Amino acid sequence: MDLYLAATNDSPEVDFRFSKHTLIMKGEAFPEDASKFYYPIVVALDQYLKTTDKQEINFDFQLTYFNSASTKMLFTIFQLLNKSASTNNRVLLNWHFDEEDDTIKDFGQEIAEDFPMLELYLVETSTA
Amino acid sequence: MEIDLFSTFHSEAEKKGIMFYYSGAFSQSVITTISDILKNRFDGHDFHSFNSRKVFSSFIEMVQNAMHYSPEAPEAGGEKIGAIAVGKSETGAFLICANLIDKNYVERISKKLEAVNNMTLEEVKAAYKVQLRNENHHEEDDISKGAGLGLLTMARDSKSKIEYRFENVVGYEDRYAELHLKTQF
Repeated sequence: MDLYLAATNDSPEVDFRFSKHTLIMKGEAFPEDASKFYYPIVVALDQYLKTTDKQEINFDFQLTYFNSASTKMLFTIFQLLNKSASTNNRVLLNWHFDEEDDTIKDFGQEIAEDFPMLELYLVETSTA
Repeated sequence: MEIDLFSTFHSEAEKKGIMFYYSGAFSQSVITTISDILKNRFDGHDFHSFNSRKVFSSFIEMVQNAMHYSPEAPEAGGEKIGAIAVGKSETGAFLICANLIDKNYVERISKKLEAVNNMTLEEVKAAYKVQLRNENHHEEDDISKGAGLGLLTMARDSKSKIEYRFENVVGYEDRYAELHLKTQF
């Protein structure tokens, strides 16, 4: 079952179209209770990955800001994807970041270092 | 306040570079509202002297910490209260946040701040990496409600050490203190 969460003032749009193997997160993430916000996302993703085999999964990561609690939860999400990529699926991660935003660029590098099975593509955007 | 004193208040704030000041309840809806105001103020001006993303990041970590850890203020109907100021300085920008804390936590908070302030930027980044991968944070620290990354994020974003002070809360000296934090960009 697909998962769709509309963006709010403090949480991103989450468009996990499992039926098409495309995942999108877009916007800003600083929810009041990070565990509460991410828990259903992690559960749905975990369930999907457990029942998916030999697929090419495309993840467009387009968050422009995430607070420290979100960072931790995002790390968990990439951990799950990396595990799947090292066993039975191919995961392509399109990492969108603003050329002036070192924080998101650095986090992308951390993800690449820790989760080598994810095929990470840097997509530089410009605010100008 | 008398009407003529308002101009004094206003011009003093201006002289200190204050771009935004708020004092009152800290709730998630207040935080999202202030976020919008700050983004508008940053967008509307040419602020090449500082990185507004870092100011915003530090703002969120400070106020969410305050919201999660402050005791409910006495005489405030169960609300979490605090104050925040964002301003321009000669070298860039600054952020100051004040919030109530339990007196028992003064030592714990000082130790955490001192530890972070004694690190170089490289050490802060390294500690951040370790903590991001730490899966036993809640077993190790049952007071922390987050990921243990808040102060490290503030230290990473600030170009100076995190300045801090504890102020007395008149009438509640035994139970509470007010924590003031300052970061610079």
